[in-house]
Amino acid sequence: MAEVTRKRDKPLQVNPVKLSQPMGATLAFLGVDRCMPLMHGAQGCTSFTKVFFTRHFCEPIAIQTTAVTDALAVLDGGDYSIVESVKNICKKVSPSLIGLHTTGLPETKGDDLRGVASKVGYPLVYVNTPDYEGGFESGWALTCKALIEQLVAPAATVNDNKLVLLPHVSLTPIEVENIKELIESFGFNVLALPDLSTSLDGHLGEKQAALSSGGISVEEIKSLGDAGLVISVGESMRESARVLLQKNAGMRHHHFSHLQGLEASDSLVELLLDETGFNGVTPKVERWRQRLQDAMLDSHFSLGQTRILVVGEPDQLAGTCKILHDAGGRVTLAISSVDSPQLEKIRAKRVLVGDLEDAEAAADEYDLIVGNCHCQALAHRLRKGLVLRGFPNWEEVGNPLKNDLLYEGGAYFLYETANAAEEMRRKTV
Amino acid sequence: MSSKPKIKDLLDESACEHNKKKKQACNAPKPGATTGGCAFEGAQISLFPYADAAHLVHGPITCLGSSWETRATKTTWPGRDLTRMGFTTDVSLNDVIFSGEEKLVKAIDDIMARYSPEAVFVYSTCVTAMIGDDIDLICRQAAAKHGVPMVPVHAPGFVGSKNLGSRLGGEAALRHLIGTLEPETTTPFDINLIGEYNVTGDMWQYKHLLDKLGIRVLATLSGDGRIKDIRCAHRAKLNVIVCAKSLVSLTRKMHEQYGIPSVSLSFYGKRDTSKGLLAIAAALGDPGLVARTEKLVAHEEARLEERLKLYRDVFVDKKAVLNTGGNKTWSIAAALQDLGFEVVATAVKKATEDDRARAREYLGEKGVLMMNPGVEQARLIDEKGAHLLLAGGRSLYTAIKKGIAFADVNQEKKKSYGGYDGLLNLAEDLKNALENPVFKLVARRAPWQK
Repeated sequence: MAEVTRKRDKPLQVNPVKLSQPMGATLAFLGVDRCMPLMHGAQGCTSFTKVFFTRHFCEPIAIQTTAVTDALAVLDGGDYSIVESVKNICKKVSPSLIGLHTTGLPETKGDDLRGVASKVGYPLVYVNTPDYEGGFESGWALTCKALIEQLVAPAATVNDNKLVLLPHVSLTPIEVENIKELIESFGFNVLALPDLSTSLDGHLGEKQAALSSGGISVEEIKSLGDAGLVISVGESMRESARVLLQKNAGMRHHHFSHLQGLEASDSLVELLLDETGFNGVTPKVERWRQRLQDAMLDSHFSLGQTRILVVGEPDQLAGTCKILHDAGGRVTLAISSVDSPQLEKIRAKRVLVGDLEDAEAAADEYDLIVGNCHCQALAHRLRKGLVLRGFPNWEEVGNPLKNDLLYEGGAYFLYETANAAEEMRRKTV
Repeated sequence: MSSKPKIKDLLDESACEHNKKKKQACNAPKPGATTGGCAFEGAQISLFPYADAAHLVHGPITCLGSSWETRATKTTWPGRDLTRMGFTTDVSLNDVIFSGEEKLVKAIDDIMARYSPEAVFVYSTCVTAMIGDDIDLICRQAAAKHGVPMVPVHAPGFVGSKNLGSRLGGEAALRHLIGTLEPETTTPFDINLIGEYNVTGDMWQYKHLLDKLGIRVLATLSGDGRIKDIRCAHRAKLNVIVCAKSLVSLTRKMHEQYGIPSVSLSFYGKRDTSKGLLAIAAALGDPGLVARTEKLVAHEEARLEERLKLYRDVFVDKKAVLNTGGNKTWSIAAALQDLGFEVVATAVKKATEDDRARAREYLGEKGVLMMNPGVEQARLIDEKGAHLLLAGGRSLYTAIKKGIAFADVNQEKKKSYGGYDGLLNLAEDLKNALENPVFKLVARRAPWQK
């Protein structure tokens, strides 16, 4: 398929799109109801992360730091700062769970997280997420895996109506909600892990800013073991599915690379029809499929003459490139923040693990950019069209409600992209 | 010898208000109960606005990946605006085990080849400080090789807070840049602006007034700054500290080393802008300049009053509650008063003793200094009958519950409220907030709750 470039000889990142593992971990913990993410490291990692998500979601973000200082870094194996942090957090709030995740600092000195976790005496899930390895997507996935391994009780029987959805990090709150709704329309009881659709969806409520509000509850996570079916979305979530299956021999698993575009949406519906024996979908779903078909036709002329650069996380690239490709969009370049087995499958002419300096160097290859808000300066300077997607997006409001998935989201996404391409052409001729 | 400044010395700043009393090291952060940025962020804030220099962060991806392009520090630099770029070595596990030095050397070479900046700042971070990468040596060698200053900045996050980091940033500039070049010409009215980062163009709200008065900004640390200028900063007649507690160590040392006196002021609101201009003129000690400044200030104030007339009716008898931190606890309060608001309360939880004293001065005896704003603000809105809450985003719900207008105090990160003209921006935004029906409307009960 694509020509994939993974290794680069560049000694640095210039204008990075890569985000760190601990940040992905924080976000995953924010999908657990009344959780307090606790980042183990110096205070800055936490502060940056808090500001980053606050600006992206326009919501208060709950997070605390173990605030490791230079003296502690030398003397403490993590015991003091973690135990003390939990004590101090619990003086003010009563979280349902502490989500302990590391940064590069304690990992460099080799803190024994597991050992400390056993001494805390408070509900806690720990995960090693050094920021000198992996990225945003893997931080989220490792956390999901840790939540399963450390919380889910093994079970011997299955409830055929219960379904666990494991979404990758780049799915927005409304997208997760829409997948849940579609599956629920087949009579399933769906639980998403993590679940941002009820925590960071941007709803007005009496916010307890000190803790995450909404998301899957700890009790629900503990009892995921009797689900009859597991659906993972995104290559990064395969491992989480694998560990969940170990909790119950009767559980079955289906994997989707992504859920964007007609074919992927069809295959999810096909699966649900097979599983349930239903002979049709709701009239609304049927209608949206027709609208997506129409959107593909209405946008094909514009997209067919547009060369597109897509920038983002690997699992996000897979879906976005596919839906654009299917409507004739020519994805000439996809820039991935990190390496992933997913890159092989991306529908693009060229796939590169890289940064926005690479995007700039390849400026001749595309007319339109789909990417995060760091792409704005680039699009402006190079006079390219722009559709803002992914983390961070500090330029627009309403990010939790951006919906590119399944039949409905696909239709909206194609229209938005085709319109952006037309606007770009109007401006540049 | 290492160019690392002694942290202990920086924490024990004799020019700091609190050190005149009890000897106390600045507080260590408390695990699980700490907010605010780290030393690296502070150093980044103080030095990043140099648009003609590359800022290379030697560390894993969190440090830069989440923070580049977050501050709108504007510049007139005609070349490629390097403040809108992010450079990081993005160290990997391999570098942690075998050292990241080789990568750093190559990264500097790469930056010089592609962007030829006037200088490169190299920031150490927690991980690279811990594995002991020798950024001093690398910077020295790279400076010799490339012929431009290479500035090692030793402010890994774990050494402390954002405030300390800003001091460390200032320290790096003092050690490696200031005094390394002579200006082409000097004037009796050369000043440095210290701690003015030109966020959203704040500096440009008053810079033209300095120009008009014949006061030359020789160098800035670091808003719309140039490396060439800061290297000449030792020839200034006066250091002007703009709203920045953290850089008093730098100006004290410049006083000791180069005999440059300093004044500390704010350009926020009408009164403070006027006071600030007059303080600069007075400190430069020229009677003619003082007279010119008095005239200019009078003219500008009259011009501003004229333009504020539009808003007077809207703001008359309006009461505001302010919930922010640091010098904003009093500087925004003063600006609100300039517009005609009565500031009934301001949060001083995250403010220094000096800030609290100034807040008291502006608010008077009747004003409330909130030590626990999260709890107090809702009650005070009721008790005082406030019409406006000016606070961070998380207080929005309080305003809605109370059915009063809300303005996000962080809007200043998008739009300048500095100087005389910035006050008009603030006036317009507050007028819009007071007139906006949204705060009352969204508080409506749902039909099924009636």
